[in-house]
Amino acid sequence: MQQAIVECKNLTHYYGKRCIYENLNFEIPQGRILGLLGKNGTGKTTTINILNGYLKPRSGECLMFGESSANLSSETKRKVGLLIEGHVQYSFMNISEIEKFYSAFYPKWRKDAYYELMKLLKIDPKQKISRMSCGQRSQVALGLILAQDPELLILDDFSMGLDPGYRMLFVDYLSEYAKAENKTVFVTSHIIQDMERLIDDCLIMDYGRIVMQKPVNELLESFKRFKFNCQNPEAINEISDIYNPVTIKGNTEVYSLLAKEDLESLMRKNNVMTNEIQEESLSLEEAFIGLTGKY
Amino acid sequence: MTSALLFKEWKKTKWFAIGAFAVGLALLTYIFLKLGRSFRMVGLEHLWDVIVNRDQFLFRDVKYFPLATGFCLALAQFVPEMIQKRIKLSLHLPLSNRKIVFSMLGFGLLALLSIFVLHLIVILTFSVFYFPMEIIESMVYTLLPWYVAGLTAYAFTSWICLEPTWKRRIFNALLMFASLQLCFLSDFPAAYSLVVLAILLIPFYVLPFGYFSVQRFKVGIQD
Repeated sequence: MQQAIVECKNLTHYYGKRCIYENLNFEIPQGRILGLLGKNGTGKTTTINILNGYLKPRSGECLMFGESSANLSSETKRKVGLLIEGHVQYSFMNISEIEKFYSAFYPKWRKDAYYELMKLLKIDPKQKISRMSCGQRSQVALGLILAQDPELLILDDFSMGLDPGYRMLFVDYLSEYAKAENKTVFVTSHIIQDMERLIDDCLIMDYGRIVMQKPVNELLESFKRFKFNCQNPEAINEISDIYNPVTIKGNTEVYSLLAKEDLESLMRKNNVMTNEIQEESLSLEEAFIGLTGKY
Repeated sequence: MTSALLFKEWKKTKWFAIGAFAVGLALLTYIFLKLGRSFRMVGLEHLWDVIVNRDQFLFRDVKYFPLATGFCLALAQFVPEMIQKRIKLSLHLPLSNRKIVFSMLGFGLLALLSIFVLHLIVILTFSVFYFPMEIIESMVYTLLPWYVAGLTAYAFTSWICLEPTWKRRIFNALLMFASLQLCFLSDFPAAYSLVVLAILLIPFYVLPFGYFSVQRFKVGIQD
């Protein structure tokens, strides 16, 4: 078991009276790429804000490199590369000015890593970030994080506003870098296809709770969709271990971590009358929908 | 690292600072041309009568320039930080939050003081050629509250920008309005001679409050 770089213990947070989550616990192990998946409003950005000390949870605590995230020392901040939602950067600087600016703060600054990525953009080094496209800005933000050479990268909704080309470039570059340098990455995104290509572990959140935290390959090996015709679908709702059953015109679809044989015997035990059950493997996006529902 | 922070502030405010200095010089040129015309048209004796016996102040056109400069400099410096919560980037830099915020505020204050001091030097250099020391002294006491108003406007506007909630922003704006009133109570030459040091304390007293608003932002207080 790798050492945990981030530990969140019993996090509870409310916005006014609205509960975002209660007693949330998770860890980010060293050298892993952990993806936080959740629908809008489930608390992904809230979690990232708490992690970086930009939000005080109602209770519980987050430790980053053993330090409380509410009061991170300069040394710990130096070890964390942060991508803010929307690839926000100092847009009044151009790409060479911003490189010079950040280099003053990080002793292990890797100028080459930044300019290698900038070469791909084919833009004038004097061009201001404010005049760049969203895709170009995302590469500038990523390049700055890579040059910083942090131990932990926290990327909030990195795919926001990016076209498929830039998303793929971002994912490929980040994935290669993290694997080669044994970096720890904590990432959120709305586009789950991208996450599937990038992350080792997933943490799936629904409103107020964590639905699942597992390595992606383990999840996809064990979590399946089952389709069958059912005469009494209302009986399925009573069964635990089955996620989000939906029946449309007699065709029922359920998701479960159970093996097909176990599901069949569970159905028989609960007097659910079905024809032959068909098992289907899932992509991460389908597994996400299976765990959190379509609505 | 501090010089990198100051570079960032300079990048944000460069054109505004140069522009404000140029507008200030243009304003002074206009005032000097107007005075030169008065010297020629009505004669120095008449001007002397206006200044000494009728207590008129010849540089009244300068009155709101420092106020506007302080207000706009704070906007130029802190609005870009608050749009898209960009201040998170600054607070994530490997320095203490106190050092980050006070470097930003210190830069603004220094930039403003530089513009104002240069402005005052031009006025005083012109004045020593034409007026005796007593009138120059009275002139300084008349001008200082207006420049203090510029510093006060900067301190309050930066506090308002850095504050994360609208309710407190409005409260801070009302405080700013009341405090600025203290700098514009009278245009009578040297009316502030006894209290100028007291009002000079206002901006320096208000400036650190921006840091407390950043701390409020940091714990997630919002509307």
